Amino acid sequence: MCGVGRLASVLAATAVALAAAALASLAPGSPMVSSCAGAGSQRAALVVEHGDGSVVTRCVSFGTATVTGEQLLNSSGVAWSGQAFGSYGQAVCALDSEPARYATCPGQENYWAVFVSRGGRAWRLSSAGISSLTLVDGDAEGFRYVPAAGDPTAPPPPAGVCGAVVATAATAAARSSTSTATAASAATATATDAGPSAAAAGSAPATAPTGDATLAAAAGTSAGAASSPPDAAPAAPDTGSGLDPGLLVAAVAGGGLAGLALLRLAAGRRGVT
Amino acid sequence: MSRERAPSSGAPGLAPRAWFIWSVAAVTVALSTDNPIYRGLVALAALNVLLTWLPPGRRVRPLGLVLLFAAGIAALINLLAGHTGADVIARLPGDWPLVGGALTLESLVFGGVLGLGLAAALLAVAPLSLVLEPHDVVDAMPGPLERTGIAVATSLNLVSGFGRTFTEVGDAQRMRGWKPRGLRSWNEVLVPVVLTAIEDSVMLAESMEARGFGAGRRTSYARATLRRRDVAVAASAAGAAVLFVGLRLAGVAVDWYPYPTLYLPPINPVLVAGCLALALPSLARPAAPVPARRGP
Repeated sequence: MCGVGRLASVLAATAVALAAAALASLAPGSPMVSSCAGAGSQRAALVVEHGDGSVVTRCVSFGTATVTGEQLLNSSGVAWSGQAFGSYGQAVCALDSEPARYATCPGQENYWAVFVSRGGRAWRLSSAGISSLTLVDGDAEGFRYVPAAGDPTAPPPPAGVCGAVVATAATAAARSSTSTATAASAATATATDAGPSAAAAGSAPATAPTGDATLAAAAGTSAGAASSPPDAAPAAPDTGSGLDPGLLVAAVAGGGLAGLALLRLAAGRRGVT
Repeated sequence: MSRERAPSSGAPGLAPRAWFIWSVAAVTVALSTDNPIYRGLVALAALNVLLTWLPPGRRVRPLGLVLLFAAGIAALINLLAGHTGADVIARLPGDWPLVGGALTLESLVFGGVLGLGLAAALLAVAPLSLVLEPHDVVDAMPGPLERTGIAVATSLNLVSGFGRTFTEVGDAQRMRGWKPRGLRSWNEVLVPVVLTAIEDSVMLAESMEARGFGAGRRTSYARATLRRRDVAVAASAAGAAVLFVGLRLAGVAVDWYPYPTLYLPPINPVLVAGCLALALPSLARPAAPVPARRGP
Protein backbone atom coordinates (compact mmCIF):
# COMPACT_ATOMS: atom_id res chain seq x y z
CA MET A 1 0.00 0.00 0.00
CA CYS A 2 2.86 2.25 0.96
CA GLY A 3 4.65 1.29 -2.22
CA VAL A 4 1.60 2.13 -4.25
CA GLY A 5 1.31 5.48 -2.51
CA ARG A 6 4.97 6.24 -3.19
CA LEU A 7 4.58 5.25 -6.82
CA ALA A 8 1.55 7.51 -7.08
CA SER A 9 3.54 10.36 -5.52
CA VAL A 10 6.38 9.86 -7.95
CA LEU A 11 3.98 9.74 -10.87
CA ALA A 12 2.20 12.85 -9.65
CA ALA A 13 5.49 14.69 -9.21
CA THR A 14 6.60 13.60 -12.65
CA ALA A 15 3.31 14.75 -14.14
CA VAL A 16 3.59 18.11 -12.42
CA ALA A 17 7.16 18.50 -13.62
CA LEU A 18 6.22 17.60 -17.16
CA ALA A 19 3.28 19.98 -17.07
CA ALA A 20 5.51 22.74 -15.77
CA ALA A 21 8.05 22.02 -18.49
CA ALA A 22 5.33 22.05 -21.11
CA LEU A 23 3.96 25.33 -19.83
CA ALA A 24 7.46 26.79 -19.76
CA SER A 25 7.98 25.75 -23.35
CA LEU A 26 4.69 27.34 -24.35
CA ALA A 27 5.44 30.59 -22.59
CA PRO A 28 7.05 33.25 -24.75
CA GLY A 29 10.77 33.24 -24.39
CA SER A 30 12.80 36.18 -23.38
CA PRO A 31 12.10 38.91 -25.88
CA MET A 32 14.67 39.39 -28.54
CA VAL A 33 14.08 43.09 -28.37
CA SER A 34 15.28 44.44 -25.12
CA SER A 35 13.62 47.39 -23.55
CA CYS A 36 16.69 48.13 -21.47
CA ALA A 37 18.93 51.07 -22.07
CA GLY A 38 21.68 50.52 -24.59
CA ALA A 39 20.77 46.86 -24.89
CA GLY A 40 21.15 46.67 -28.61
CA SER A 41 23.27 48.10 -31.34
CA GLN A 42 20.80 47.30 -34.12
CA ARG A 43 18.03 49.72 -34.90
CA ALA A 44 14.84 49.66 -36.93
CA ALA A 45 12.36 52.41 -37.54
CA LEU A 46 8.63 52.33 -37.04
CA VAL A 47 6.33 54.70 -38.90
CA VAL A 48 2.62 54.83 -38.17
CA GLU A 49 0.31 57.06 -40.17
CA HIS A 50 -3.22 57.45 -38.91
CA GLY A 51 -6.31 57.93 -41.00
CA ASP A 52 -6.31 61.65 -40.28
CA GLY A 53 -2.75 62.01 -41.55
CA SER A 54 -1.01 62.31 -38.20
CA VAL A 55 2.24 60.41 -38.00
CA VAL A 56 3.96 58.65 -35.11
CA THR A 57 7.55 57.48 -35.49
CA ARG A 58 9.82 55.43 -33.28
CA CYS A 59 13.36 54.19 -33.49
CA VAL A 60 13.75 50.86 -31.71
CA SER A 61 17.07 49.33 -30.70
CA PHE A 62 17.56 45.62 -30.45
CA GLY A 63 20.46 43.37 -29.63
CA THR A 64 19.90 40.45 -31.97
CA ALA A 65 20.58 40.02 -35.66
CA THR A 66 16.91 40.00 -36.61
CA VAL A 67 13.63 40.96 -35.07
CA THR A 68 10.07 40.28 -36.11
CA GLY A 69 7.65 43.04 -36.94
CA GLU A 70 5.57 42.05 -33.94
CA GLN A 71 8.53 42.31 -31.57
CA LEU A 72 9.45 45.68 -33.03
CA LEU A 73 5.92 46.92 -32.48
CA ASN A 74 5.84 45.57 -28.94
CA SER A 75 9.12 47.25 -28.09
CA SER A 76 8.09 50.54 -29.61
CA GLY A 77 5.49 51.02 -26.90
CA VAL A 78 2.78 51.83 -29.40
CA ALA A 79 -0.36 50.06 -28.23
CA TRP A 80 -1.87 47.62 -30.67
CA SER A 81 -4.12 44.62 -30.86
CA GLY A 82 -4.24 41.97 -33.52
CA GLN A 83 -5.64 38.73 -34.69
CA ALA A 84 -3.82 35.66 -35.93
CA PHE A 85 -4.73 34.38 -39.38
CA GLY A 86 -3.13 30.96 -39.67
CA SER A 87 0.27 30.99 -41.20
CA TYR A 88 -0.28 34.53 -42.43
CA GLY A 89 0.55 35.56 -38.90
CA GLN A 90 -0.67 38.45 -36.86
CA ALA A 91 -2.79 41.07 -38.57
CA VAL A 92 -2.98 44.45 -36.87
CA CYS A 93 -6.59 45.26 -36.03
CA ALA A 94 -6.13 48.40 -33.94
CA LEU A 95 -3.04 50.51 -33.58
CA ASP A 96 -2.40 53.54 -31.43
CA SER A 97 -6.08 53.75 -30.46
CA GLU A 98 -7.32 53.63 -34.03
CA PRO A 99 -9.96 52.35 -34.35
CA ALA A 100 -11.05 52.77 -30.76
CA ARG A 101 -13.33 49.76 -31.16
CA TYR A 102 -13.76 47.24 -33.89
CA ALA A 103 -16.11 44.38 -34.61
CA THR A 104 -14.33 42.78 -37.54
CA CYS A 105 -10.68 42.41 -38.37
CA PRO A 106 -9.63 43.56 -40.89
CA GLY A 107 -12.18 46.34 -40.74
CA GLN A 108 -14.90 46.60 -43.34
CA GLU A 109 -14.20 50.28 -44.02
CA ASN A 110 -10.54 50.75 -43.10
CA TYR A 111 -7.63 48.55 -42.07
CA TRP A 112 -3.99 48.85 -41.14
CA ALA A 113 -1.83 48.18 -44.18
CA VAL A 114 1.66 46.93 -43.33
CA PHE A 115 4.74 48.09 -45.21
CA VAL A 116 8.40 47.18 -45.05
CA SER A 117 11.42 49.21 -46.04
CA ARG A 118 14.67 47.31 -46.48
CA GLY A 119 17.88 49.21 -45.82
CA GLY A 120 16.32 52.61 -46.32
CA ARG A 121 14.74 51.79 -49.66
CA ALA A 122 11.15 52.56 -50.63
CA TRP A 123 8.19 51.05 -48.83
CA ARG A 124 6.91 47.72 -50.06
CA LEU A 125 3.51 46.41 -49.14
CA SER A 126 3.85 43.35 -46.96
CA SER A 127 1.92 40.24 -47.81
CA ALA A 128 2.72 38.64 -44.48
CA GLY A 129 1.52 39.37 -40.99
CA ILE A 130 3.77 41.27 -38.63
CA SER A 131 4.70 38.10 -36.77
CA SER A 132 6.05 36.67 -40.02
CA LEU A 133 8.05 39.77 -40.95
CA THR A 134 11.76 39.68 -40.28
CA LEU A 135 13.63 42.94 -39.91
CA VAL A 136 17.33 43.64 -39.60
CA ASP A 137 19.40 46.66 -38.75
CA GLY A 138 18.41 49.61 -40.94
CA ASP A 139 15.01 48.23 -41.92
CA ALA A 140 11.73 49.92 -41.15
CA GLU A 141 8.20 48.79 -40.49
CA GLY A 142 5.37 51.04 -41.58
CA PHE A 143 1.65 51.16 -40.95
CA ARG A 144 -1.00 53.25 -42.60
CA TYR A 145 -4.70 53.24 -41.86
CA VAL A 146 -6.17 52.96 -45.34
CA PRO A 147 -9.63 52.45 -46.84
CA ALA A 148 -10.52 48.79 -47.29
CA ALA A 149 -11.08 49.28 -51.00
CA GLY A 150 -8.50 50.77 -53.27
CA ASP A 151 -4.75 50.78 -53.62
CA PRO A 152 -3.14 51.31 -50.21
CA THR A 153 -0.72 54.21 -50.21
CA ALA A 154 2.47 54.09 -48.24
CA PRO A 155 3.26 56.01 -45.06
CA PRO A 156 5.97 58.71 -44.98
CA PRO A 157 9.47 57.53 -45.80
CA PRO A 158 11.39 56.17 -42.81
CA ALA A 159 14.53 58.12 -43.65
CA GLY A 160 15.79 60.03 -40.67
CA VAL A 161 13.73 58.21 -38.06
CA CYS A 162 16.84 56.40 -36.90
CA GLY A 163 19.36 58.83 -38.31
CA ALA A 164 21.76 57.20 -40.74
CA VAL A 165 20.56 53.90 -42.13
CA VAL A 166 23.76 52.05 -41.42
CA ALA A 167 25.27 52.88 -38.11
CA THR A 168 28.30 51.47 -36.41
CA ALA A 169 27.86 49.79 -33.10
CA ALA A 170 29.60 52.60 -31.31
CA THR A 171 27.42 55.24 -32.89
CA ALA A 172 24.34 53.22 -32.22
CA ALA A 173 25.31 52.74 -28.61
CA ALA A 174 25.92 56.45 -28.24
CA ARG A 175 22.56 57.23 -29.79
CA SER A 176 20.92 54.67 -27.60
CA SER A 177 22.36 56.27 -24.49
CA THR A 178 21.27 59.65 -25.77
CA SER A 179 17.79 58.37 -26.21
CA THR A 180 17.92 57.02 -22.69
CA ALA A 181 18.11 60.49 -21.39
CA THR A 182 15.52 61.95 -23.69
CA ALA A 183 13.04 59.14 -24.17
CA ALA A 184 10.29 60.62 -22.08
CA SER A 185 10.37 64.05 -23.63
CA ALA A 186 11.00 62.71 -27.11
CA ALA A 187 7.94 60.50 -27.05
CA THR A 188 5.77 63.41 -26.08
CA ALA A 189 7.39 65.62 -28.68
CA THR A 190 6.61 63.11 -31.38
CA ALA A 191 2.94 63.20 -30.71
CA THR A 192 2.91 66.97 -30.51
CA ASP A 193 4.78 67.35 -33.77
CA ALA A 194 2.65 64.82 -35.49
CA GLY A 195 -0.36 67.00 -35.15
CA PRO A 196 -2.96 68.04 -32.67
CA SER A 197 -5.34 65.31 -33.69
CA ALA A 198 -2.96 62.64 -32.54
CA ALA A 199 -2.47 64.35 -29.23
CA ALA A 200 -6.20 64.79 -28.88
CA ALA A 201 -6.67 61.11 -29.49
CA GLY A 202 -4.38 60.51 -26.58
CA SER A 203 -2.01 58.44 -28.63
CA ALA A 204 1.26 59.53 -27.11
CA PRO A 205 0.41 59.50 -23.42
CA ALA A 206 -1.43 56.23 -23.74
CA THR A 207 1.04 54.39 -25.87
CA ALA A 208 4.49 55.78 -25.38
CA PRO A 209 6.02 54.28 -22.27
CA THR A 210 8.08 57.12 -20.96
CA GLY A 211 10.43 54.77 -19.20
CA ASP A 212 11.36 52.85 -22.33
CA ALA A 213 14.86 53.98 -22.90
CA THR A 214 15.30 52.22 -26.21
CA LEU A 215 12.79 54.47 -27.85
CA ALA A 216 14.27 57.39 -29.64
CA ALA A 217 11.38 59.22 -31.17
CA ALA A 218 12.61 61.39 -34.02
CA ALA A 219 10.50 64.46 -33.57
CA GLY A 220 11.97 66.35 -36.49
CA THR A 221 11.43 63.51 -38.88
CA SER A 222 7.88 63.10 -37.78
CA ALA A 223 7.10 66.75 -38.31
CA GLY A 224 8.74 66.73 -41.71
CA ALA A 225 6.89 63.67 -42.76
CA ALA A 226 3.59 65.04 -41.67
CA SER A 227 4.13 68.17 -43.68
CA SER A 228 4.72 66.20 -46.85
CA PRO A 229 1.82 63.85 -47.41
CA PRO A 230 2.97 60.58 -48.93
CA ASP A 231 0.90 59.63 -51.88
CA ALA A 232 3.36 57.39 -53.58
CA ALA A 233 1.95 53.96 -54.33
CA PRO A 234 3.86 51.14 -52.73
CA ALA A 235 5.84 48.60 -54.68
CA ALA A 236 4.67 45.05 -55.15
CA PRO A 237 4.00 43.03 -52.01
CA ASP A 238 7.06 41.85 -50.19
CA THR A 239 6.77 38.09 -50.19
CA GLY A 240 10.13 37.68 -48.60
CA SER A 241 11.66 35.87 -51.54
CA GLY A 242 12.40 36.37 -55.20
CA LEU A 243 11.53 33.98 -58.00
CA ASP A 244 9.84 30.93 -56.62
CA PRO A 245 11.10 27.77 -58.37
CA GLY A 246 8.30 25.84 -56.70
CA LEU A 247 5.84 27.67 -58.91
CA LEU A 248 7.44 26.12 -61.98
CA VAL A 249 7.21 22.64 -60.43
CA ALA A 250 3.57 23.24 -59.55
CA ALA A 251 2.81 24.47 -63.07
CA VAL A 252 4.34 21.36 -64.63
CA ALA A 253 2.52 19.07 -62.18
CA GLY A 254 -0.79 20.86 -62.63
CA GLY A 255 -0.44 20.86 -66.41
CA GLY A 256 0.29 17.15 -66.42
CA LEU A 257 -2.67 16.30 -64.23
CA ALA A 258 -5.00 18.55 -66.21
CA GLY A 259 -3.82 17.02 -69.48
CA LEU A 260 -4.37 13.51 -68.18
CA ALA A 261 -7.85 14.41 -66.96
CA LEU A 262 -8.76 15.89 -70.35
CA LEU A 263 -7.47 12.80 -72.13
CA ARG A 264 -9.53 10.55 -69.86
CA LEU A 265 -12.62 12.68 -70.36
CA ALA A 266 -12.18 12.60 -74.12
CA ALA A 267 -11.60 8.85 -74.09
CA GLY A 268 -14.70 8.38 -71.96
CA ARG A 269 -16.81 10.37 -74.42
CA ARG A 270 -15.57 8.33 -77.35
CA GLY A 271 -16.41 5.19 -75.40
CA VAL A 272 -12.91 3.81 -75.64
CA THR A 273 -12.59 0.71 -73.54
CA MET B 1 -9.46 2.92 -71.69
CA SER B 2 -10.70 0.11 -69.54
CA ARG B 3 -13.01 0.79 -66.66
CA GLU B 4 -13.77 -2.01 -64.34
CA ARG B 5 -16.87 -2.45 -62.32
CA ALA B 6 -16.93 -0.94 -58.90
CA PRO B 7 -14.75 -3.01 -56.66
CA SER B 8 -16.81 -5.05 -54.32
CA SER B 9 -15.12 -6.95 -51.57
CA GLY B 10 -12.61 -9.25 -53.14
CA ALA B 11 -13.26 -7.99 -56.66
CA PRO B 12 -10.48 -6.42 -58.74
CA GLY B 13 -9.69 -2.91 -57.68
CA LEU B 14 -8.66 -1.10 -54.56
CA ALA B 15 -9.82 -2.32 -51.20
CA PRO B 16 -12.59 -0.21 -49.64
CA ARG B 17 -10.38 0.64 -46.70
CA ALA B 18 -7.68 1.96 -49.03
CA TRP B 19 -10.30 4.15 -50.68
CA PHE B 20 -11.45 5.40 -47.31
CA ILE B 21 -7.92 6.31 -46.21
CA TRP B 22 -7.25 8.01 -49.54
CA SER B 23 -10.45 10.07 -49.30
CA VAL B 24 -9.84 11.17 -45.72
CA ALA B 25 -6.24 12.11 -46.56
CA ALA B 26 -7.23 14.06 -49.67
CA VAL B 27 -9.91 15.98 -47.78
CA THR B 28 -7.40 16.74 -45.03
CA VAL B 29 -4.91 18.12 -47.52
CA ALA B 30 -7.53 20.15 -49.38
CA LEU B 31 -8.86 21.77 -46.23
CA SER B 32 -5.57 22.26 -44.43
CA THR B 33 -4.37 25.03 -46.68
CA ASP B 34 -5.71 28.18 -48.33
CA ASN B 35 -3.11 28.00 -51.06
CA PRO B 36 -4.96 27.72 -54.40
CA ILE B 37 -2.08 25.88 -56.06
CA TYR B 38 -2.20 23.00 -53.59
CA ARG B 39 -5.99 22.94 -53.65
CA GLY B 40 -6.01 22.89 -57.44
CA LEU B 41 -3.49 20.05 -57.52
CA VAL B 42 -5.57 18.03 -55.07
CA ALA B 43 -8.69 18.64 -57.16
CA LEU B 44 -6.92 17.56 -60.34
CA ALA B 45 -5.46 14.48 -58.67
CA ALA B 46 -8.87 13.49 -57.33
CA LEU B 47 -10.47 14.09 -60.71
CA ASN B 48 -7.92 11.83 -62.39
CA VAL B 49 -8.49 9.12 -59.81
CA LEU B 50 -12.24 9.37 -60.21
CA LEU B 51 -12.07 9.21 -64.01
CA THR B 52 -9.77 6.21 -63.85
CA TRP B 53 -12.00 4.18 -61.56
CA LEU B 54 -15.45 5.41 -62.59
CA PRO B 55 -17.63 2.36 -63.27
CA PRO B 56 -19.46 2.12 -66.60
CA GLY B 57 -22.87 3.74 -66.55
CA ARG B 58 -21.95 6.35 -63.98
CA ARG B 59 -21.37 9.92 -65.07
CA VAL B 60 -19.29 12.75 -63.64
CA ARG B 61 -21.25 15.52 -65.36
CA PRO B 62 -23.82 15.96 -62.55
CA LEU B 63 -20.99 16.10 -60.07
CA GLY B 64 -19.21 18.67 -62.24
CA LEU B 65 -22.32 20.84 -62.31
CA VAL B 66 -22.64 20.63 -58.53
CA LEU B 67 -18.97 21.59 -58.15
CA LEU B 68 -19.31 24.55 -60.48
CA PHE B 69 -22.44 25.71 -58.69
CA ALA B 70 -20.86 25.40 -55.24
CA ALA B 71 -17.65 27.13 -56.29
CA GLY B 72 -19.58 29.89 -58.03
CA ILE B 73 -21.77 30.50 -55.00
CA ALA B 74 -18.71 30.66 -52.72
CA ALA B 75 -16.99 33.17 -55.01
CA LEU B 76 -20.14 35.26 -55.33
CA ILE B 77 -20.79 35.41 -51.60
CA ASN B 78 -17.22 36.42 -50.83
CA LEU B 79 -17.27 39.01 -53.60
CA LEU B 80 -20.44 40.58 -52.22
CA ALA B 81 -19.67 40.30 -48.52
CA GLY B 82 -15.94 41.07 -48.44
CA HIS B 83 -15.10 44.63 -49.36
CA THR B 84 -11.37 44.54 -48.80
CA GLY B 85 -8.81 44.75 -51.56
CA ALA B 86 -6.84 47.13 -53.70
CA ASP B 87 -8.44 46.46 -57.08
CA VAL B 88 -12.01 47.70 -57.13
CA ILE B 89 -14.21 46.12 -59.81
CA ALA B 90 -17.46 47.93 -59.03
CA ARG B 91 -19.31 49.65 -56.23
CA LEU B 92 -22.73 48.92 -54.82
CA PRO B 93 -24.68 51.59 -52.92
CA GLY B 94 -23.32 51.83 -49.41
CA ASP B 95 -26.76 51.72 -47.79
CA TRP B 96 -27.40 48.19 -49.05
CA PRO B 97 -27.02 45.88 -46.07
CA LEU B 98 -24.04 43.53 -46.14
CA VAL B 99 -23.36 43.80 -49.87
CA GLY B 100 -23.10 47.59 -50.08
CA GLY B 101 -19.63 48.95 -50.79
CA ALA B 102 -16.72 48.19 -53.06
CA LEU B 103 -16.52 44.87 -54.87
CA THR B 104 -12.89 43.93 -55.23
CA LEU B 105 -10.91 41.54 -57.36
CA GLU B 106 -9.18 40.22 -54.24
CA SER B 107 -12.49 39.23 -52.67
CA LEU B 108 -13.54 37.50 -55.86
CA VAL B 109 -10.29 35.56 -56.10
CA PHE B 110 -10.38 34.54 -52.45
CA GLY B 111 -13.98 33.40 -52.88
CA GLY B 112 -12.84 31.36 -55.85
CA VAL B 113 -10.14 29.79 -53.71
CA LEU B 114 -12.75 28.87 -51.12
CA GLY B 115 -14.84 27.31 -53.86
CA LEU B 116 -11.78 25.46 -55.15
CA GLY B 117 -11.26 23.98 -51.69
CA LEU B 118 -14.87 22.90 -51.61
CA ALA B 119 -14.56 21.33 -55.06
CA ALA B 120 -11.36 19.51 -54.10
CA ALA B 121 -12.98 18.13 -50.96
CA LEU B 122 -16.07 16.98 -52.86
CA LEU B 123 -13.96 15.32 -55.53
CA ALA B 124 -12.00 13.57 -52.79
CA VAL B 125 -15.11 11.96 -51.30
CA ALA B 126 -16.79 11.34 -54.65
CA PRO B 127 -15.27 7.83 -55.08
CA LEU B 128 -17.07 6.74 -51.89
CA SER B 129 -20.32 7.37 -53.71
CA LEU B 130 -19.50 6.85 -57.38
CA VAL B 131 -16.91 4.06 -57.27
CA LEU B 132 -17.74 2.04 -54.18
CA GLU B 133 -20.97 0.24 -53.45
CA PRO B 134 -22.77 1.25 -50.24
CA HIS B 135 -21.77 -1.95 -48.44
CA ASP B 136 -18.15 -1.29 -49.43
CA VAL B 137 -18.35 2.05 -47.65
CA VAL B 138 -19.60 0.29 -44.54
CA ASP B 139 -16.74 -2.21 -44.78
CA ALA B 140 -14.23 0.59 -45.23
CA MET B 141 -14.96 2.06 -41.83
CA PRO B 142 -13.10 0.83 -38.77
CA GLY B 143 -15.14 -1.50 -36.51
CA PRO B 144 -16.14 1.13 -33.94
CA LEU B 145 -17.37 3.41 -36.71
CA GLU B 146 -19.57 0.78 -38.35
CA ARG B 147 -22.81 2.62 -37.62
CA THR B 148 -21.26 5.85 -38.82
CA GLY B 149 -20.33 4.05 -41.99
CA ILE B 150 -23.89 2.94 -42.48
CA ALA B 151 -25.12 6.49 -41.99
CA VAL B 152 -22.53 7.84 -44.44
CA ALA B 153 -23.34 5.16 -47.01
CA THR B 154 -27.05 5.80 -46.67
CA SER B 155 -26.58 9.55 -47.02
CA LEU B 156 -24.38 9.18 -50.07
CA ASN B 157 -26.90 6.83 -51.59
CA LEU B 158 -29.74 9.25 -50.95
CA VAL B 159 -27.89 12.09 -52.66
CA SER B 160 -27.60 10.20 -55.91
CA GLY B 161 -31.16 8.89 -55.49
CA PHE B 162 -32.38 12.45 -55.04
CA GLY B 163 -30.70 13.42 -58.32
CA ARG B 164 -32.26 10.49 -60.13
CA THR B 165 -35.70 11.32 -58.78
CA PHE B 166 -35.30 14.94 -59.82
CA THR B 167 -34.49 13.89 -63.37
CA GLU B 168 -37.34 11.38 -63.53
CA VAL B 169 -39.95 13.74 -62.12
CA GLY B 170 -38.77 16.55 -64.39
CA ASP B 171 -39.02 14.30 -67.46
CA ALA B 172 -42.47 13.07 -66.42
CA GLN B 173 -43.76 16.61 -65.94
CA ARG B 174 -42.37 17.70 -69.30
CA MET B 175 -44.19 14.82 -70.96
CA ARG B 176 -47.36 16.19 -69.39
CA GLY B 177 -46.67 19.56 -70.99
CA TRP B 178 -44.97 21.32 -68.11
CA LYS B 179 -42.43 24.02 -68.95
CA PRO B 180 -40.28 25.99 -66.51
CA ARG B 181 -41.72 29.49 -66.22
CA GLY B 182 -40.09 31.30 -63.35
CA LEU B 183 -39.35 30.07 -59.86
CA ARG B 184 -42.96 29.27 -58.94
CA SER B 185 -43.34 26.78 -61.75
CA TRP B 186 -40.59 24.62 -60.20
CA ASN B 187 -43.02 23.75 -57.39
CA GLU B 188 -44.53 21.21 -59.73
CA VAL B 189 -41.20 19.37 -59.81
CA LEU B 190 -39.81 20.03 -56.35
CA VAL B 191 -42.88 18.98 -54.38
CA PRO B 192 -43.08 15.48 -55.94
CA VAL B 193 -39.30 15.13 -55.57
CA VAL B 194 -39.41 15.92 -51.85
CA LEU B 195 -42.40 13.62 -51.30
CA THR B 196 -40.64 10.81 -53.17
CA ALA B 197 -37.47 11.35 -51.11
CA ILE B 198 -39.45 11.09 -47.86
CA GLU B 199 -41.19 7.97 -49.11
CA ASP B 200 -37.85 6.42 -50.11
CA SER B 201 -36.37 7.20 -46.71
CA VAL B 202 -39.26 5.55 -44.89
CA MET B 203 -38.97 2.52 -47.16
CA LEU B 204 -35.22 2.31 -46.54
CA ALA B 205 -35.72 2.48 -42.80
CA GLU B 206 -38.30 -0.32 -42.94
CA SER B 207 -36.01 -2.44 -45.11
CA MET B 208 -33.10 -1.98 -42.72
CA GLU B 209 -35.27 -2.88 -39.76
CA ALA B 210 -36.62 -5.95 -41.56
CA ARG B 211 -33.03 -7.09 -42.19
CA GLY B 212 -32.11 -6.78 -38.55
CA PHE B 213 -30.23 -3.50 -38.54
CA GLY B 214 -29.07 -2.76 -35.02
CA ALA B 215 -29.68 -6.32 -33.81
CA GLY B 216 -26.02 -7.18 -33.69
CA ARG B 217 -22.63 -6.79 -35.28
CA ARG B 218 -22.66 -6.83 -39.06
CA THR B 219 -21.09 -9.88 -40.65
CA SER B 220 -19.93 -10.41 -44.21
CA TYR B 221 -19.51 -13.44 -46.40
CA ALA B 222 -16.17 -12.36 -47.81
CA ARG B 223 -13.69 -9.93 -46.34
CA ALA B 224 -11.38 -7.81 -48.47
CA THR B 225 -7.68 -8.06 -47.78
CA LEU B 226 -5.21 -5.25 -48.21
CA ARG B 227 -2.84 -6.00 -51.04
CA ARG B 228 0.45 -4.32 -51.85
CA ARG B 229 -1.27 -1.85 -54.14
CA ASP B 230 -3.80 -0.93 -51.46
CA VAL B 231 -1.07 -0.41 -48.92
CA ALA B 232 0.89 1.79 -51.34
CA VAL B 233 -2.14 3.97 -52.06
CA ALA B 234 -3.09 4.28 -48.40
CA ALA B 235 0.47 4.96 -47.28
CA SER B 236 1.15 7.62 -49.92
CA ALA B 237 -2.12 9.40 -49.18
CA ALA B 238 -1.62 9.28 -45.44
CA GLY B 239 1.94 10.51 -45.93
CA ALA B 240 0.68 13.50 -47.90
CA ALA B 241 -1.81 14.37 -45.16
CA VAL B 242 0.81 14.01 -42.43
CA LEU B 243 3.18 16.20 -44.47
CA PHE B 244 0.67 19.03 -44.76
CA VAL B 245 -0.52 18.86 -41.17
CA GLY B 246 3.02 18.47 -39.86
CA LEU B 247 4.35 21.45 -41.78
CA ARG B 248 1.41 23.52 -40.61
CA LEU B 249 2.08 22.59 -37.01
CA ALA B 250 5.76 23.34 -37.56
CA GLY B 251 4.85 26.84 -38.65
CA VAL B 252 5.88 26.50 -42.28
CA ALA B 253 3.60 28.72 -44.33
CA VAL B 254 1.20 26.76 -46.50
CA ASP B 255 -1.54 29.39 -46.70
CA TRP B 256 -2.14 32.27 -49.04
CA TYR B 257 -4.15 35.41 -48.48
CA PRO B 258 -4.71 37.73 -51.43
CA TYR B 259 -5.32 40.79 -49.28
CA PRO B 260 -4.63 43.63 -49.66
CA THR B 261 -3.29 43.01 -53.17
CA LEU B 262 -2.95 39.90 -55.29
CA TYR B 263 0.38 38.17 -55.52
CA LEU B 264 1.66 34.78 -56.61
CA PRO B 265 1.18 32.09 -53.95
CA PRO B 266 4.40 30.78 -52.39
CA ILE B 267 5.04 27.17 -53.38
CA ASN B 268 6.99 24.50 -51.57
CA PRO B 269 8.08 21.72 -53.98
CA VAL B 270 7.83 19.15 -51.18
CA LEU B 271 4.15 19.97 -50.73
CA VAL B 272 3.63 19.76 -54.50
CA ALA B 273 5.05 16.25 -54.31
CA GLY B 274 2.62 15.53 -51.50
CA CYS B 275 -0.28 16.60 -53.71
CA LEU B 276 1.00 14.44 -56.55
CA ALA B 277 1.13 11.44 -54.23
CA LEU B 278 -2.64 11.64 -54.04
CA ALA B 279 -2.81 10.86 -57.76
CA LEU B 280 -1.25 7.44 -57.22
CA PRO B 281 -4.57 5.52 -57.47
CA SER B 282 -4.95 6.81 -61.03
CA LEU B 283 -1.79 4.86 -61.88
CA ALA B 284 -2.90 1.72 -60.04
CA ARG B 285 -4.91 0.09 -62.80
CA PRO B 286 -7.49 -2.57 -61.95
CA ALA B 287 -5.95 -6.04 -61.86
CA ALA B 288 -7.14 -9.60 -62.01
CA PRO B 289 -9.48 -10.83 -59.30
CA VAL B 290 -7.88 -11.89 -56.08
CA PRO B 291 -9.37 -14.84 -54.20
CA ALA B 292 -11.30 -13.56 -51.26
CA ARG B 293 -10.67 -14.86 -47.81
CA ARG B 294 -13.68 -16.40 -46.16
CA GLY B 295 -15.03 -14.29 -43.36
CA PRO B 296 -16.63 -15.41 -40.12
